[in-house]
Amino acid sequence: MYKLIKDTLTNESKVVFRLSDNTCIPFAPDNTDYQTYLAWVAEGNTPQPADEGTQ
Amino acid sequence: MASVVINGDTSGAVTISAPAVAGTTTLTLPTTSGTILQSGTAVTEAQGGTGTTTGYYGFKNRIINGAMVIDQRNAGASVTVNSSNNNPNTLDRFAAYDVNGGSGTFTQQQSTTVPAGFVNSLLTTVGTADTPTGNVGYSMYQRIEGLNISDLNWGTADASTVTLSFWVRSSITGNFPVLLQNSAYAVYYASLYNIPTANTWTKISITITGPTTGTWLTTNGIGIDINWGFGAGSGRTAGTTGAWTSNPTSGTILLNVTGATQLIGTSGATFFITGVQLEKGSTATSFDYRPYGTEFNLCQRYYSALPDTGAQNGLGAGVCLNTSNFYFVAVYPVPMRTAPSFTSTGTFQVIVTTGYTPSSVTLSAAGTTSAALLAAISGPTAASGGFIRGGGSACSLNFSAEL
Repeated sequence: MYKLIKDTLTNESKVVFRLSDNTCIPFAPDNTDYQTYLAWVAEGNTPQPADEGTQ
Repeated sequence: MASVVINGDTSGAVTISAPAVAGTTTLTLPTTSGTILQSGTAVTEAQGGTGTTTGYYGFKNRIINGAMVIDQRNAGASVTVNSSNNNPNTLDRFAAYDVNGGSGTFTQQQSTTVPAGFVNSLLTTVGTADTPTGNVGYSMYQRIEGLNISDLNWGTADASTVTLSFWVRSSITGNFPVLLQNSAYAVYYASLYNIPTANTWTKISITITGPTTGTWLTTNGIGIDINWGFGAGSGRTAGTTGAWTSNPTSGTILLNVTGATQLIGTSGATFFITGVQLEKGSTATSFDYRPYGTEFNLCQRYYSALPDTGAQNGLGAGVCLNTSNFYFVAVYPVPMRTAPSFTSTGTFQVIVTTGYTPSSVTLSAAGTTSAALLAAISGPTAASGGFIRGGGSACSLNFSAEL
């Protein structure tokens, strides 16, 4: 399970949080954790939305 | 100057001349038959030279941490591999698999049981045994970055031969599997190596003709995936040994070889490995002992921990964006393979005009040389500058860019 993180400065999501092991994963195409996340999304899953008002 | 002339049986002659200096010079010939090296001839790689074509100054061994000395994540602690923790990194650059929900379990940790010339090995101990079926499989592996194999020319007519060597020791004997695969898991080279005697170190050497087919990445992706199999069902078992073969289930990582001994089948079985080396050429040369600092830096391209063991050294400087967020920069020790994932362990302290204990530290943005992080604190004045350090006990900012 994943949760999006919103950047405080830009208010955009550039990082996703993996809840199972508290890992912050950047949206970087060569990052294998990000590749696993994309495969998870491709299976039809949806991450939890980012909290509003915090990063 | 006196000389001795040895005339050939039919033609030619060899002249041995004493030097035109005072004193006695002794020339001792080898006790075995052979050829004296001719001036201008390169020493072969097998004799510790640089060879004539491959030039082994530098990165002879494409395996990183092959002597199992670097353990940034676990510092010697045991890691349990099971269906829940099914793909952990163990020692630096090495990882383990329990794929497809296998009920078997095993642990991995750094060991000091070693063959002569080494100080560490990687120990695997089977916990719960399993007879895997289907796509269930168990292994340990290292994935070599494509940038580090670009000179092998794999996938072309000029593909270089390589030799994989390692020391291994197990409580059970038999023929164990090791497999080389490309990033697409479309082609494989499988081999069985024999451990003839229980609890005795055996040096394994496998020479592999370079593949002329298949796509082999020479980027920062997976170049070669090497798996030492501990057992797998038929869905992850290779049927051919000793030759590059198309994977009939392309895209599926193979972890086993038909007829192999399955370590996972024996509860309590142990398996030690060290001195892992993959080198260009058809001969297993001596292990490439790199300086510790060099080996450590090589590992840090894939995993970097910025630790504070309690000294409260600074970890990064930044500024309070507002009264609840301290934004700071952490610089990695070496450039990383890609923008890394981030975790933190332990408790930190943000120093502005006084100390604040963050309730969390999260990643805001990551590059290959540094990361912007956010520490959640309460109370400071916005726009105040400061830095973050350990809270007084062991803590660490951890960055992972593993393959």
